[in-house]
Amino acid sequence: MKTKIVFLLFFVVIGIAATAFRTSNDWLFVVPRGWQKPAYNFQQNPLHKQKIELGRALFYDPLLSKNGMVSCASCHSQYSAFTHGDHALSHGIHDSIGTRNAPALMNLAWQRVFMRDGAINHLDMQALAPISNPAEMGESITHVVAKMQATILYPRLFAAAFGDSVITGERTLKAIAQFMLILVSSNAKYDSVTRKQAVFSEQERKGYVLFKKHCSTCHTEPFFTNHQFMNNGLPVDSTIRDLGRFGVTQNPDDSLKFAVPTLRNIEFSYPYMHDGRFKRLPDVLNHYTAIGLQNRTKSHTLAKELQTPIALSSNDKVDLTAFLLTLTDRGFLFNPAFSFPRNIVFETAKD
Amino acid sequence: MNCRAVFGQQSPVNASTIRLSIIPTFGAKSIVIRDSAFQAKDARNTQIDMLKFYISRIQFLHKGAVVLEEAQSFHLIDAAREVSFHLAVQNKRGVRFDAVRFHLGIDSATSVFGAMGGDLDPTRGMYWTWQSGYINFKCEGKSNACTARNNEFQFHLGGYKQPFDCLQTLTFPISVSDTITIQFDVERFLSKIDMAKHHHFMSPSADAVRLSAQAAESFRIVH
Ligand code: HEC
Ligand code: HEC
Repeated sequence: MKTKIVFLLFFVVIGIAATAFRTSNDWLFVVPRGWQKPAYNFQQNPLHKQKIELGRALFYDPLLSKNGMVSCASCHSQYSAFTHGDHALSHGIHDSIGTRNAPALMNLAWQRVFMRDGAINHLDMQALAPISNPAEMGESITHVVAKMQATILYPRLFAAAFGDSVITGERTLKAIAQFMLILVSSNAKYDSVTRKQAVFSEQERKGYVLFKKHCSTCHTEPFFTNHQFMNNGLPVDSTIRDLGRFGVTQNPDDSLKFAVPTLRNIEFSYPYMHDGRFKRLPDVLNHYTAIGLQNRTKSHTLAKELQTPIALSSNDKVDLTAFLLTLTDRGFLFNPAFSFPRNIVFETAKD
Repeated sequence: MNCRAVFGQQSPVNASTIRLSIIPTFGAKSIVIRDSAFQAKDARNTQIDMLKFYISRIQFLHKGAVVLEEAQSFHLIDAAREVSFHLAVQNKRGVRFDAVRFHLGIDSATSVFGAMGGDLDPTRGMYWTWQSGYINFKCEGKSNACTARNNEFQFHLGGYKQPFDCLQTLTFPISVSDTITIQFDVERFLSKIDMAKHHHFMSPSADAVRLSAQAAESFRIVH
């Protein structure tokens, strides 16, 4: 008997999102009320549940490193706000020590350049840096792709995410970027207070006033960073001699300027500063009240706000610290969607 | 899937296709790097291990005006892959032209665009990782003139930001023809470098800008 094949033609009409940052799956990424439009162009890499899951797997998989021992999460662990908990300088494969402290990862969709000196111009391309850095993962994206092709897991995850099992550098990077994008922290006590769902204690309120007076030109709400590069008066480390932004622009006016970090989840992201030189928040505050007193820290790029030392009494410091602790977002730090994917069994790479 | 993800795949050539070949040469000799490096047999005993560069934004002009522009025009020419030498540009409207123009390298808008596929996929090894940006041009090898360890030289040219924007624009007049051959003469490029002084260029710099211009001058149209 003759079989008859009927071809059905489906027209899929994809509506163009009205606002630039709308994604195909809006609920995967919500812009918190009052926050500006993200810098990331989601139309170029529309969020998709399976792509995020792939990105999450990649983030936790040590296959991305040369010796199969180091994953992104080795240096960016969730419980420490995706920093290298307790490590001043991050270490990678073969225990090699890097030159910088791993920054907290959150609200990256609003950031235009990455790294403490802004060397990376796009979130998609950021993962290439740790993958290829000999002191971090010591791999190459070309070899990572080849290793993934030889697994059972990844062709399956790529097919679920992209419709076919082809593994490319572009797809790998876009999936990692998707996982980075959903790391949004916007539910600290501070946020509840601004949404009038909670109130500050007296101490926190006083601390907030001090914060707005002394800190918020750089650590600007709601991101607690102005996304600029500034010199906050740290004396240059004589062994590393990290000149920050200058290394990228070669402009002497950028010497010793570093990306202003967010202060969200600051309670958990210690140690602090680009080289992790301060272990505790009181050390940081003592630095800010002593800048002008240390002549050797006077550099021509020192921010004008910090030319004269910030005056804070010991009570002020306690109040300010109380306010900084209202930036802790437990829903973020313990969100199971951001943690190690327990449903996935990572394979050891067949080389 | 992007069809260019299949490296060097060519569209079938027909009357409405312009065939543009970019052939790497050492002097008059074609360079092909297969399993082993290319040996020049010149006085300096030059050896070419790697020669790769981007050709992008291919346009055809008539009396100075652009009449045809290739869409998604990014091509990695790789001396180790002969298929990459031969490009085919569709000319459906059959326009007449008297010049071809293209970039050597990747423009700044593309450099800040994020992850891309095909010849722009970072697995092609033409992306700097410790800072963002495409490497427009890579040439690696050995020469007796080179005073570095093992006489090795490595020239990685790129940079899209001022003052170190390395992008070059090349224009060649052509007698109307649908088969265009342009050579890149690596001997000419290397002859302008004092390898007793310079053996490694690995980042955007004033030298990289100067060398990029020299690379551009080492192209010539054959017919
Ligand atoms: C060996 C430790 C280490 C590993 C492994 C590592 N990182 Fe990092 N990460 C760092 C350090 C250190 C920095 C800051 C680098 C700099 O400023 O130059 C950083 C910076 C970043 C940033 C930029 C954040 C910002 O605010 O600018 C992102 C995003 C990031 N890492 C994601 C990743 C991803 C994704 C991976 C896995 C592919 C990864 N990291 C692997 C240590 C590491
Ligand atoms: C002129 C801009 C500026 C001002 C004003 C400023 N900061 Fe900072 N802050 C920075 C920069 C830049 C860094 C990062 C420096 C580095 O990485 O070396 C930083 C780092 C920090 C860190 C460490 C964050 C981390 O994750 O490592 C804390 C905490 C901090 N600042 C708190 C404050 C407080 C509290 C105030 C007000 C008393 C303040 N800052 C005022 C620019 C500023």
